[in-house]
Amino acid sequence: MNPLLPAPETLPAAWGWLHGLLMVTFPLHLLAMNAMLGTAALSLLARLKGGPLDLRLARELAKVLPVLIALTVNLGVPPLLFAQVLYGPLLYTSSVLMAVFWLGVPLSLLAAYCAAYLYAYRFAAPGRWGFVPIALALALLFGIAFVFTGNMTLMLEPGRWSAYFGNRGGTLLDLGSPMFWPRYLHNVVGALAVGGLFVAVWGRARAGREPQVGERAVRLGLKVFTRLTLAELLLGAGFLLSVPRPVRGLFLGGSPVATGLLGAGALLAILALAAGVRGRVILCAGLTVPLLYLMAFMRDVLRAGILEPVFGPEALKVAPQTGPMVLFLAILVAGLAVIVWMVRKSLQAGG
Amino acid sequence: MNYPVWYRPGLGGGLVIAVIAIIHVFIAHFAVGGGLYLVFAERKGLGERSPGILAFTKVHARFFLLVTMVAGGMTGVGIWFAISVVQPAATSILIHVFVFAWGAEWVCFLVEIVALFIYVHTFGRMDDRTHLAIGWLYFGTAWLSLFLINGILDFMLAPGGWVANGSFWAGFFNPLFWPSLAFRTALAGLLAGVYAFLTTTFLDAGATRTAMTRFSGGWVLASYGGALLAGLWYALAVPGPARGASLASPTLHRALQAGFWALVALGLLALAFVLARPSSLSRPLAFLALLGALVLVGAVEWLREAARRPYVIHGVMYANGILAGEVDGLNRDGFLARARWAGVREAGEGNLLEAGRELFILQCYACHTLHGFNNDLAARTRNLTYPAMLAYLGTLHDRRPFMPPFAGSAEEARALAAFIVKGVHGRELPAGAPEGGGGRALFEANCTACHDEGLVRTRTAGWGRARLRAALDHLSGLNPGMTDYDGTPQDKDLLADYLAAAEGGAR
Repeated sequence: MNPLLPAPETLPAAWGWLHGLLMVTFPLHLLAMNAMLGTAALSLLARLKGGPLDLRLARELAKVLPVLIALTVNLGVPPLLFAQVLYGPLLYTSSVLMAVFWLGVPLSLLAAYCAAYLYAYRFAAPGRWGFVPIALALALLFGIAFVFTGNMTLMLEPGRWSAYFGNRGGTLLDLGSPMFWPRYLHNVVGALAVGGLFVAVWGRARAGREPQVGERAVRLGLKVFTRLTLAELLLGAGFLLSVPRPVRGLFLGGSPVATGLLGAGALLAILALAAGVRGRVILCAGLTVPLLYLMAFMRDVLRAGILEPVFGPEALKVAPQTGPMVLFLAILVAGLAVIVWMVRKSLQAGG
Repeated sequence: MNYPVWYRPGLGGGLVIAVIAIIHVFIAHFAVGGGLYLVFAERKGLGERSPGILAFTKVHARFFLLVTMVAGGMTGVGIWFAISVVQPAATSILIHVFVFAWGAEWVCFLVEIVALFIYVHTFGRMDDRTHLAIGWLYFGTAWLSLFLINGILDFMLAPGGWVANGSFWAGFFNPLFWPSLAFRTALAGLLAGVYAFLTTTFLDAGATRTAMTRFSGGWVLASYGGALLAGLWYALAVPGPARGASLASPTLHRALQAGFWALVALGLLALAFVLARPSSLSRPLAFLALLGALVLVGAVEWLREAARRPYVIHGVMYANGILAGEVDGLNRDGFLARARWAGVREAGEGNLLEAGRELFILQCYACHTLHGFNNDLAARTRNLTYPAMLAYLGTLHDRRPFMPPFAGSAEEARALAAFIVKGVHGRELPAGAPEGGGGRALFEANCTACHDEGLVRTRTAGWGRARLRAALDHLSGLNPGMTDYDGTPQDKDLLADYLAAAEGGAR
């Protein structure tokens, strides 16, 4: 037992409920985040290419970006909330150890959001340096991914926490962890790949109104998706090699669940890649969404495996709050119903 | 003591929270009241068939979207991130006790985002009834967010029955819930009207501008009246111990003053724009009103924070993360041995300064910086000698009820006193009793926390021993800010002798 590991609080519901909510909501955040990153990157790319069609595409993507940022932030709330409930002693501690960078996240988000709006509203502003706001937003978003990867890695490694006694100013980064860089590259490249696919899906939907822009978006988006997914197969393998040997073993036959997840994930990735190469946008997206869920489950198995010697659900006390939980679920269902109604009305109005 | 401390001695985590919180609270309230304002303004435009008012509402809605989504949403995330690194133990309690309330609040936030984007982007393109309904949905979920967060915020000041039974509902619908909800709702309306003053100034002079200035002024005045009544209700509902502790705080008086003048300024401006001359509304005046509202919100939040001290969750956890129920055990067994993130495990002659620094970080730094802008401990202990510091630590909570008690063994108290006197101020620690006998020791132990010897001499010049002795029986009669000295008559005699002799020496 690591003496630095804080005592946990009592859980307000059985681990399974909270964990289920985490696992349902986290991939939704990933989807939105990937769409946001891909949209920003492809808008920048199209802007830099500079032809009339690419500029139109860049401009249309610029208009979508603020909505995607808002959704990404919003959908990031529940997984972070449920992760804090389940892994509080680990996550709060790692956040304190790297507090300066962690606090940099909302600041960077604010700056990226402003830059995205500036880019969208002033797209037509004189050309040569017009790409700067979106490039800045993208750089900030990559920085946020860097900090998140750092925190999610540091929380898994209580053995490295004693570095705090040499640096209490909140500037610890777990760059020395063998997992850090492979994980970061895996996350960012994967996000850009799925983001490319989002642009392709968006282009497909757009094709009815603006066929040329829609078609260009589909072509560019799928190109990014297929190339980066190929790279991702290698980067994923590299990440697997970087995790501690006993945990790696789980995915290589040691655990039927972990091995099954890895196998299913690899198969889905290859199928999605094939669909992408053939230009089957909807099929590709239909395969990629479950793939993202599988990735999230693998990540969860990896986390449980690494933490197994120091932290596990069996040690946590539970005092169920049944009424509040049922009320939350009811509000969630009602909220989703209201959203569906509003979106339908908006589409009917041509919004 | 369960978590590490993010230690930036010159900055202080409290300041980080305060800056983000005041901005966020301002925008968050405005996001609620602004929703209602939008719906009413649109209704007014539709009812009067006024394209001018509808055009104004559309522009106002776009600015509203930018401010609430960008600044409001991001500072909301910011405050969550900030409290989790500055107060991880308290944040953990709030998250675990209220996870489903936070979850419900997230749903509201999601509906708000979708509703507001649709409301803004379909203005003039959707049938009026549906468009208004979406505006109402935005306001409804924004107010529900306020409802949910209000319960959690007030829990920190008055956790009510939760302390005894651990019930979610007892903690959520705590004694402050309803008055605070009424007060915050009124405040939200007030901010919406004040913000509308600003957007109104972007209209060209004319009938629409005059109508919307009057409309916004009426809005502000109605909310103003509501806020005054609800604020009084809220103040009366604050539990007695919290009110007592906060009234002893000098910062509270400053916050009260700032809030009062902000209220006066806002009231006068609103009256001027409604009753006297709507045409006098200019952009600088609108900014002045906005600044007044910001000061008002800042003062309200400051007062709420002050009322909570010395706790972060009243009666449960002190501001430094120590549970109130743990203090006796820590005094008995020692603090460092039980603090997970202490760099040394015990205090002794060989490590007084090192152990003292750990104690400072883990017990004092939650509220005090060292040589920083906010609540600088170095400035506040400038006059304290080692014996005085030691004596002060022993009676800290009694003398200053808004400060937590020192928790730890006698050896640890020595270590903390040594760190402050020698480590911070560079003064050598005395080997024996101070020169000047018992009177000097009593002076150092009881007076130097607030006064240096020179100041006392100046203030009591020419008094003579008899008057000094009489004053010691009723110090609060000299100055209401002073606490009465609770020493024995013999102690008071010794202290009067010392002061009289010092006075003679000074002459």
